[in-house]
Amino acid sequence: MARPKESFLYKNMSYNFEHLIEIPFEDSIDELTHILMSKHGIPRYVEEELLEDLARFVKERTVEYNDQRVMNLINGAKDNKINIEEITKKWEKVLKEEVTEYGEQRCASDNELFATAYHKMVHSPALETMLQLEHMYSQTVRQKAKEKNQLIQEMSERQSKEMNSAVDRLEKDMTESQINGLVARHYEDHALLQGKLNSELDTIKEAQRREYREWLMQMLEQNQTTSSLPTPNSPLTPMPIESIIPSVNFNNGVANVPVLEESFTIHLGSQLKQMHNIRILSANVMDLCSVDDSRQSSEPTPQILQTALALYSNDLSGLVLMADNKIGSRMTKEFQDICDRTTEFHFSHLEDQFNKISNMSLGYLKRDSQSNNRNSHSELLQAGDFYVTRHSNLAQVHVIFHMVSDDSLRGTNINSRHPIILGLRNILKTACSNDITSLTIPLLLQYDMTEEMTVSWCEKRAELVFKCVKGFMIEMASWGGSDLKNLQFMLPQGISNQVFQSLTEMLPRIFKVSNPKILK
Amino acid sequence: MSVSLLKKPQMHFGAITFFAKQHKDDVCGSNGLPLTPNSIIIYGRAQILKTIVNPYLCRYLDIIRGKHERTIAVSQYCGKPLSSFIEKSVFSFTDIKRIAYQVLQGLKELHSRNIVHHNLSSENILYENGNIKLFNYGLYYMTDNGKLVSFPIVQLLYTAPEVYLEEFKEIIANPKVDIWSLGIILAELTLNKLLWSSLILGQRIRKVLSLVQSTTSVFERIAREHNCYDRYQAIPADLKEIIEVCLNIYSEDRPTAAELLEKGIFDEFQVQKTDWLSLLKMYEIFTISELYYWWQLTGGDVLQELKRQGLIRSSPPILSLPHLVLIEGTILGQDRNPATLYDPKIVEMPMETLYERFKNISFSCYYPLIQTKSEIIAQSEPEPYDATGLPLVIKEKDPEYQFHRVILLRRLLHGYPFTRDLIVKEAEKDIPPLFRGDIWSALLNVRGDYERQYAKIDKATPTPTDRQIEVDIPRCHQYNELLSSMEGHKKLKRILKAWVNQNTQYVYWQGLDSLTAPFLYLNFNDEAKAFSCLSKFVPKYLHNFFLKDNSAVIEEYLAKFSQLIAFHDPVLANHLYEINFYPQLFAIPWFLTLFSHVFPLHKILHLWDKVLLGNSSFSLHIGLSVLTQLRDRLLNSGFNECILLFSDLPEVDIEKCVILSAETFQKTPGSITHREYENEEFKKTGELDISGVTLQDLKKERCPRISVSDLLELIRNSPDKAIVVDIRNITQFNRCSVRDSINIPFSSVCFSENKIENVGHHSNVLKDNLDKIVVVVGDEETDLELFPTFLLNCNVKFVCVLHGGFNILLPISPTILASQNHIS
Repeated sequence: MARPKESFLYKNMSYNFEHLIEIPFEDSIDELTHILMSKHGIPRYVEEELLEDLARFVKERTVEYNDQRVMNLINGAKDNKINIEEITKKWEKVLKEEVTEYGEQRCASDNELFATAYHKMVHSPALETMLQLEHMYSQTVRQKAKEKNQLIQEMSERQSKEMNSAVDRLEKDMTESQINGLVARHYEDHALLQGKLNSELDTIKEAQRREYREWLMQMLEQNQTTSSLPTPNSPLTPMPIESIIPSVNFNNGVANVPVLEESFTIHLGSQLKQMHNIRILSANVMDLCSVDDSRQSSEPTPQILQTALALYSNDLSGLVLMADNKIGSRMTKEFQDICDRTTEFHFSHLEDQFNKISNMSLGYLKRDSQSNNRNSHSELLQAGDFYVTRHSNLAQVHVIFHMVSDDSLRGTNINSRHPIILGLRNILKTACSNDITSLTIPLLLQYDMTEEMTVSWCEKRAELVFKCVKGFMIEMASWGGSDLKNLQFMLPQGISNQVFQSLTEMLPRIFKVSNPKILK
Repeated sequence: MSVSLLKKPQMHFGAITFFAKQHKDDVCGSNGLPLTPNSIIIYGRAQILKTIVNPYLCRYLDIIRGKHERTIAVSQYCGKPLSSFIEKSVFSFTDIKRIAYQVLQGLKELHSRNIVHHNLSSENILYENGNIKLFNYGLYYMTDNGKLVSFPIVQLLYTAPEVYLEEFKEIIANPKVDIWSLGIILAELTLNKLLWSSLILGQRIRKVLSLVQSTTSVFERIAREHNCYDRYQAIPADLKEIIEVCLNIYSEDRPTAAELLEKGIFDEFQVQKTDWLSLLKMYEIFTISELYYWWQLTGGDVLQELKRQGLIRSSPPILSLPHLVLIEGTILGQDRNPATLYDPKIVEMPMETLYERFKNISFSCYYPLIQTKSEIIAQSEPEPYDATGLPLVIKEKDPEYQFHRVILLRRLLHGYPFTRDLIVKEAEKDIPPLFRGDIWSALLNVRGDYERQYAKIDKATPTPTDRQIEVDIPRCHQYNELLSSMEGHKKLKRILKAWVNQNTQYVYWQGLDSLTAPFLYLNFNDEAKAFSCLSKFVPKYLHNFFLKDNSAVIEEYLAKFSQLIAFHDPVLANHLYEINFYPQLFAIPWFLTLFSHVFPLHKILHLWDKVLLGNSSFSLHIGLSVLTQLRDRLLNSGFNECILLFSDLPEVDIEKCVILSAETFQKTPGSITHREYENEEFKKTGELDISGVTLQDLKKERCPRISVSDLLELIRNSPDKAIVVDIRNITQFNRCSVRDSINIPFSSVCFSENKIENVGHHSNVLKDNLDKIVVVVGDEETDLELFPTFLLNCNVKFVCVLHGGFNILLPISPTILASQNHIS
């Protein structure tokens, strides 16, 4: 067994003094000599003698100390007091877990292989073809979805007509029970159709995903031999562009709301200055996720390009969304819809990701509800927890942090110890240790405009978030991960100009804004 | 060609890499601050390894900290692992004895430094041309006996049984485990057999542990188990004895490395005391650490090389994100990244780029001529590599230039203190970063016995200042890896305590920690030198700044600062004066720490390169140049804005700052910044120098004084650089005055308005003055404050007042005076 340090008494007979020395001795014997000499008024000329004597003392005691320790161990083993078998197992385990040589020879997973392939291809001339293909796949899905909606709508119309006429005839030849039967039938038909169409859509997506991945791997192979780029031909890729019915752009009005935004370059640190980019903007947070498909063009939007290039890089971009304690609840419906709009070629479907997280959290919280020190012993998530989903089909982000929040956020008296703020710190830490270098945070900790958002409420909340985030960023420098290069503070869409102004004026007061370079 | 000088077989290096243990959750240290990341602790501990120079040890060259707690150790790497020779019957018993001797020499060196290898195996003993070097011997030490990493530092078969028995709780390193490992290696070599090569992991551990039970010789048992009993018996008795004794189960029975070396078997290898040549330390024109430095400059990048050769595998971060993070910090769904496991692979660094780059450097460049009286010989020297005019940062990155500088300065430093003058001369050009620590201490005149002096100082006994030091250290330049490491904290504390102990006339002021930081950073492995630089630095540049009551010293310094601003930049000075923004409000930390509290380390280094060549007034000029850089913003700001601006000083271009302050320093006569409180040792105290100005007077005067000797210097050597303004009345002026001086009688000027035209027909000379020094000369009857202040208010540059008045010029010989009557 390991033993703590032990003190030995050093006695010097010739000069008649004693000193306690701890073994193992870690300081300089030379210095100890001088300290002892001045303490006991020992003449200079014995310096060498004393030094030698002390050094010998320390050396001998150290050897003795170590040998004693080993002796105890070996004797223990010889007398079978120590369980050799158990020790061997322990060592085996540690070595297998920690050293590559003894660890399981693990092949790269499917995902890793695909990631490497994709990353390689996306940084090659094939990029354009790939994006084109992805875009066409997505057009197909959209088209299909539209058809689905149309069919459903048609059916609804037909049904309501039928219902109307039935109701009209109520007095004549229809009985109430017949109508009830009709309602039930309608409902059934509706559900049936919807289910059928949904599963059709899922099938298409699944097929697309498989085909895309195969195509990519195949392309990689071919690319290594020749440099030509094949394009796949299949019914899943897209129909001619003309056939896409130009849709009326009802979204236009919203898209044209002027986006309020302002950017800053700030530096942190008193001596060594670290630069960061900060932006405040007011927009619909879903604009960061949803790929603008209003234009119906054959070309993918340029934002996608950037996102695709960085997907497997060490510069990921993340977004904090607010959620409630039920994973995948209706609160995130809009987000889920956006994710489902196109095929996810890289990661599991959102629903599957949610399910996995659900199981994981349930498993953990159930198992450890006694042992862990969470406030509530509930099996639900609580405010400040967050779960992470990853995406390849969103416009500007790869990673979504779903922060669990509660109603306390609406209040005015939240402080820096509020769970959401602590959660924010964990998010920054996760970002830092996982190479997420761009992050978007709701400045008011929510994305929707609500009643209580008065000017002073907004200012107070923004100040808190600014200050806390600043503190976390300073802390971050010592976490040894990657730096946060871009930080976006998001304000709800439609916030008043006045509030926006006052918040952009507040930022330079809290963060130190870098000097502009002025050319002279 | 000459490049063959670089291509010595020993001059190669390789790197290993591993991950430090991550701290669990968010825990704080006992001082309430966040814990130092383990990789930084390792970084600090590993530094000392770089100082170990021993023929039987691979030299450590560099420790690099990567992202996410990665550590890379770069060290010399030459030859092949011993393991690759086993079972090939290449070694005779004499060879084996020599190997044993050399390994023991290496271990002795390590053990004497309290370093335990703990990782010894035939894999990391490198063999080349009959000699060996131990490799990777510092891993156990730098990771604080393995505590800072999650993987165990053992070599399955070679590790002594007690290590296994102790499990992972071992907190104290026992050097005797290395002796056991040596025993196993020697057994392998003598039996010419890789031991238990067919066994798998668990069986190997069990095998080692089973040796504990053996009652007979362990070596014999090993031989029998490998069917080598014949060979075992053929081993010479003395060698066999050595192996047997190494393989004793009880460490008590194993001798230490030093004891083993005493044995008769090694006599033939001992350096003979009469063999003078091998006892003398040869001067090497460069060593592997310089080569590594050049290699880096020629584009060598260890991290890239590890990536290229596959030791650093990166899997995309998006695939390994966690799924769920709970508020208390529990992370769920993140698998251990297999790339973070320990892989003991060694990656050799390619040298081709370096050879290619340096192939045209001629042979004589390796042996620069330092002193010669012969013109002819001097001419035969190759043209110096021309880098003049290039910015300093470029020069520091230019491999050829640094090659020449390093070769030259290494030689000069070798000759210190006799070559001090030459070192100063070279330092004026620039200081190569590799030797900055040594050059600085040469500039500061650090004496040869500094180590002994430092050892004598008591740094252990608690003192009342300890608490403050304890508080300051974790806030001192912590962005720097060295200074934020535990080792750095420990060293800084010891140096500060030593300083307090040695300077009882002074007190510990906050800021002393920042002042020490650059010295510690440069001399991290030589605490004594850092201390000794500090002790030389403070009296020269910050004399009496650390007095318990330092107000008079500081006040004088700041008053001088105001005057210097007025001297060079009247517009700015007037503006700051008007808005009451005095240097007291911002400049105290600047001067008290000589900017070491204000700038990051890399900037301080460049700044101090110049400071060390100048005198204690140089920092005033640095202050001026900082203000000059912010001039536009200051001129457009009121009091509040200025305070805000300085509360967190904006980024300052340090190269500009250095150039500018050197310029103004050059231009300013020395007496302008004369201070009464300057260290006597460095002060000019001649009859013609300034003396006896009280602080009270000084604070009243807005323009600085100039000494007679500086005035004489000006008038005699560069009369076109000065305008002497005589403000006595015209009669006195006509009777006797400085040659070529102009007369503006004090009484003739109306001071009510700040208009230069008021001085009469000489106004144009003053108004158009661009770079001449305006020396105001008067006598007791004239007001020597009002007039210069008036000129200052009219934004006239370089105004100063002759100290002592006109009369002091009378006895000067040869005279500079003339009578106007006589001329006209």
